[in-house]
Amino acid sequence: MSKKNKALSVVQPYIWLLPSVLLMVTMIVVPIISVFKISFSEVGRSGLIKGFNGIENYVEVFKQPAFWTTLRNTFVWTIAVVGLSTVIGFILAMVLNQEFFGRKIVRAVVIFPWATALVIQSVIWKYIVNADYGSLNVLLKKLGIIDSFVNWTGTAQSMFAWECWVGIFVTFPFVTFCVLSGLQGIDAALYESAAVDGAGFWSKLFKITLPLVRPSLTVSTVLNIIYVFNSFPIVWTISKGAPADQTHTLVTYLYKLSFTEGKSGQAAAVSVIGFVILAILASIYMIMSLRGEGED
Amino acid sequence: MKKFLSMLLVTAMVASMLVGCGGKKSESGSDESGNVTLDIIISQYGNYTQEWWKEFEETFEAANEGIDLNIEIVSWNDIYEVVNTRISTQEQPDILNISGFADYVTDDLLMPAEEYVSDELQANFVPSFWESNAIDGTVWALPILASCRALFCNMDLLNEAGIESVPETWDDVLTACQAIKDTYGDEIVPWGLDISTDEGQAAFAYYAWNFGGGFVDDNGDWALNSAENVEAVEYIQNLIDSGYCNSAPFTDTRYPLQDAFSAGTLAMMIGPMNMVAADSTVNYEAADIPGEHVALGVCDQLMVFKDEEAGDARTEAITKFFDAFYEVETYSDYMVYEGFLPATQDASANLAENAEKYIVGGTEDTAGNSEYFATFCAVLPNCKFYPMQKTEWMDVRNGVIDVEQQVCSGTTDAQTALDNLQAEVAE
Repeated sequence: MSKKNKALSVVQPYIWLLPSVLLMVTMIVVPIISVFKISFSEVGRSGLIKGFNGIENYVEVFKQPAFWTTLRNTFVWTIAVVGLSTVIGFILAMVLNQEFFGRKIVRAVVIFPWATALVIQSVIWKYIVNADYGSLNVLLKKLGIIDSFVNWTGTAQSMFAWECWVGIFVTFPFVTFCVLSGLQGIDAALYESAAVDGAGFWSKLFKITLPLVRPSLTVSTVLNIIYVFNSFPIVWTISKGAPADQTHTLVTYLYKLSFTEGKSGQAAAVSVIGFVILAILASIYMIMSLRGEGED
Repeated sequence: MKKFLSMLLVTAMVASMLVGCGGKKSESGSDESGNVTLDIIISQYGNYTQEWWKEFEETFEAANEGIDLNIEIVSWNDIYEVVNTRISTQEQPDILNISGFADYVTDDLLMPAEEYVSDELQANFVPSFWESNAIDGTVWALPILASCRALFCNMDLLNEAGIESVPETWDDVLTACQAIKDTYGDEIVPWGLDISTDEGQAAFAYYAWNFGGGFVDDNGDWALNSAENVEAVEYIQNLIDSGYCNSAPFTDTRYPLQDAFSAGTLAMMIGPMNMVAADSTVNYEAADIPGEHVALGVCDQLMVFKDEEAGDARTEAITKFFDAFYEVETYSDYMVYEGFLPATQDASANLAENAEKYIVGGTEDTAGNSEYFATFCAVLPNCKFYPMQKTEWMDVRNGVIDVEQQVCSGTTDAQTALDNLQAEVAE
């Protein structure tokens, strides 16, 4: 290989990577630096940056009881949605992995909640559970299950529970298809051998199925933690954090701080806090993955 | 390698939490040949806003050689975000139509109105509107349009429930609500209530003012924890606890309530004068809000941002723009298009006589007859307005919504919540 060709082969990968790197720098790195800077700045309600103010924005955020409620909600929301979606999605994937009539149609139907826009799903569910004209009350009354309309979202807790349900409803199909792809890669001979050895359903599940779909489950869980933690449309469309900021998650709270209350500095501080939390979670995942790789 | 790529992906997605700001470079000012470009942001009031302003732009530019209008119509959902982003990148427009101006005055961004408004135009504004945009004696914005709120009652539903006339007192309201509930059960909602983050401050104003309280005292100082305000918030709580209201007052904005009223499934609500849908068959009456009969007036503004580098040519162009916009025929036409009330005296008089001659949005089926304008234009000067000229207004606005939601969700009591808000605002 000539000297010229050797030099080109060294440089070539970097040239190919350059557009992506430039894109990431301008679309991700620059805004991140900007948000960090704003979080340490005094910002007027009109959006004017008036200068460095140290950690004042963070202090103001920590002083608000609504922030701590929001932080608690965010963890409840993430754990409930990701946890229950994973359980439901896994069970459904097991069912859909069986041979039965109409399986293809059911598989196609299951994808709908995930494929539909989140705002549309949220609006539909908001109308379904509305106590005055929602279809749930009308249906239950016609079936004679209730005598008068029930206010399903009358308290902050019930409102938040419905939001979690919508989150689960739109998330579990993703888990289902991730797990299904893992299940289809398992050799049927393994189950046959296990059956010959006298293994029952639970033994097969814990000794064969779960270990072999673990990579699929890990991918879906990590991605879902990030998606759900950052999810904005469901909570904003259904409650906008009402009543009295009791149903916010970090993302909707920072949006309200910035665009309803005009407190961009505090919103940037909440944004940085969310970033740090997600960075810690991602780091834990990376460490666990690297350990897993080492064991392999 | 795959692990590395997946980690890179995860890192990028985590980082996306922080991404979201952007800006747009606008071009305004005068060029070497003396031509002036005015960068203007207008709020979108309805389906015809874009169409009307496009026509205005063409007519204005044809009549004023050397002045180029760059008009951008922005929805109410986005306008504060758009304007704040432009200000933070020092690309504010020359003229802005929005609700509220005190924050821009605080940041020394606006020109005093007297620097660009002609004497004739200044004399033409309804005095209460002109003065409502003053801080410490200086007027900083022009009223673009106004609207007022009234009590709307579905008379067929009330009569069927045994109520012969619209409620005049707050006790009458409770009686009417109970009668509706007894007669119709779940089928009809007696009273529409919006204490959502969208417009919960309006609900506070309706009840507080009409229980004898309000946002400020006679000296103009914040008086949020007055006994009357406590009584007003407790009354709202009672409406909810008694089962008289829509089931989701924390999240229902006035728009679905207006739809429900127009559809005949909501018996009473307080709303803007043009709230009933044009095709509604509901037999309704609009009346004064019960109690003190104080109506809420809502008035949006036009304001001009400073541009230290621009010369007199810009100011002259702005003066011409406002003279053209508030010209009686043009301005009357815009008011009928948007379904709002005018802020100038000649347009008020004109619409009280001739509203029918302006075709609304290309059709003739929308509200806007002379009687309508005559009635509401007469009421408007007596309306009360939000104290938007006070710099703490946005905190108070959000604060009273929070108070309503806290009290009505049982988190705290009205006295404590209002005391806390008063203390916060006083800090």
